[in-house]
Amino acid sequence: MSVAAITPAPVIGHGAAGARTVRWSAYLIVGIGALFMLAPFWFMFVFATHSRGEIFNLPPPLWFGSDLAHNFQLLTERLPFWRNLGWSIYVALMATALTLLFCSMAGYAFALMEFRFKKALFGIVMATMLLPSFMNMIPMFMIMDALGWIDQQRALYVPGAASAFGIFLMRQFASTAVPRELVEAARMDGCGEFDIYWRIVLPLMKPALGTLALITFITSWNNFINPLIVMRSLPNYTLPLALRSLQSTMNTEWGALMCGSAIATIPLIVLFAITSRQLIAGLTAGAVK
Amino acid sequence: MGRVSLRNVRKSFGTTDVIKGIDLEIEDGEFMVFVGPSGCGKSTMLRMIAGLESIDGGDLLIDGKRANDVRPADRGAAMVFQNYALYPHMTVAENMGFALKMAGVGRAARDEQVRRAADVLRIGDLLGRTPKELSGGQRQRVAIGRAIVRKPRVFLFDEPLSNLDAALRVDMRIELSRLHRELGTTMVYVTHDQVEAMTMGTRIAVFNRGNIEQLGAPLSLYNEPANEFVAGFLGAPRVNLVDVPGPEATPALRAFWSMLLPVVPAQARRAGVRAEHLRVVASGAGVPATVVMAEHLGDVSVLHLRVDGIADLLHAKVDASHAHLVAGASVGLVAGGSVLAFDGTGQRIER
Repeated sequence: MSVAAITPAPVIGHGAAGARTVRWSAYLIVGIGALFMLAPFWFMFVFATHSRGEIFNLPPPLWFGSDLAHNFQLLTERLPFWRNLGWSIYVALMATALTLLFCSMAGYAFALMEFRFKKALFGIVMATMLLPSFMNMIPMFMIMDALGWIDQQRALYVPGAASAFGIFLMRQFASTAVPRELVEAARMDGCGEFDIYWRIVLPLMKPALGTLALITFITSWNNFINPLIVMRSLPNYTLPLALRSLQSTMNTEWGALMCGSAIATIPLIVLFAITSRQLIAGLTAGAVK
Repeated sequence: MGRVSLRNVRKSFGTTDVIKGIDLEIEDGEFMVFVGPSGCGKSTMLRMIAGLESIDGGDLLIDGKRANDVRPADRGAAMVFQNYALYPHMTVAENMGFALKMAGVGRAARDEQVRRAADVLRIGDLLGRTPKELSGGQRQRVAIGRAIVRKPRVFLFDEPLSNLDAALRVDMRIELSRLHRELGTTMVYVTHDQVEAMTMGTRIAVFNRGNIEQLGAPLSLYNEPANEFVAGFLGAPRVNLVDVPGPEATPALRAFWSMLLPVVPAQARRAGVRAEHLRVVASGAGVPATVVMAEHLGDVSVLHLRVDGIADLLHAKVDASHAHLVAGASVGLVAGGSVLAFDGTGQRIER
């Protein structure tokens, strides 16, 4: 994102050649930045095809090797890998579905309905964004423990289902995308409150829903801390936690670990490639009329 | 049937009374226009009939049945909004059929009714489009179509033409009048445009500060306004109001008033002369006046005139033979035709 800030400054009195030089040097700086950011991904994919010994050669391998199959076999021997992958997908989908449902309902209510203490309630929701997420770790464990949800997947997708950020995003979008008259027209046409939400508001919030879905899915997919707090047994782990369990002080199979990490990354890369335009459009929607 | 009765209807927002006890009978098949300045309560009154605003006091009766607490959809009223309020994610046909769908009407019957309404409004070829592919005038037709499809007992229009350009507004005005004739359904129409009120209404209710100042047929309101407010609200340019001359009045004002004296009763404190009843003659005759601004519209000219001793500019609507007059010209003013007389409280004095 930060690369976007580098734009060629206007050049006065240097003519076209001068402007071109500035432009190209800007590209160069951006290019180097991009290279640095992509390097970890590159090494992850490359190391996934090398044995542990090769990875620690000096200099390290820069191009693909031949140990991918071996690494993958190691990975599936050490971990219930497909099961962990399945849990990751399940948790991310459930988190996304619940977040979309609750945040869109709350956002619609805060944007377009009148009720007592509306401002105060919205203030409280917003205030939760001020708390550092680490403050939440111990209370979260205690609550999940009290509910008897320790080592259960629902402890991963239920608590975040009404996120303050999601509610805020939905409210902002609904207040610009859904004119009050539309809700009134629907009421005249015979819609009850749920029909208004389901048939009118929800379809109009699609762009913001797409954005929130993507953000929620990625956050859930990458989440490491929450599973670490509440999950106990390896077969119930989501991928980030399961991959972490491959690491030990003495005997880490780095090739297998990189292979697992690479596989875990691919869905996100594909998802982002398809939807990045939508993601950015949704985040800036309403910024400029 | 579509008879709407308002009995001492009240509404407050917080401590502000916006509707202060309105009594009104809207007859079946009538075209009732609510006019008034912004904030006079006319839109709120309409929304209360629709069920979009609660009624704080009094009774709303639709066809004799108390409807205060009836759900908006069950009141038999259909509303056309100022900004059309079409559902952007539905096609024209889906927009028009939505209320029927919600009422559980089957697809075939729905399509049939949508088709028929579309024919009435000549939008049959637009049914497959979405609202954003339509022009403003087409959108308004669809919004009206959506209301027609429901076969309501009463149509409610909330300034439906104010987002259209001038030419289209004239067309739609004619169209709506035609529709009213064909359907024969009760219509309640809110506008701040006095031309719309005068041309479309069977009766007009002039709202001011949460009350109805006067109720009546358009021309009777124009010719026999109950008070200064109604006289001032109907008619463009505004009616000229001139105070009775006091002891320090200028000769020009005295001359102007004495010109009105034959038709103004002695107890009048203020007189109202409509712009078309002021004539302009050569300087030297009549009351001396100076042209401050002249608007030559081709068919008529509107002159804004200063008379010594009268605080407000006087407006005169004269024929095109005065098109040579420019700002600064000196002319003489003659008042002729009917003159309205008001007492100290602003009420019109009957002659």
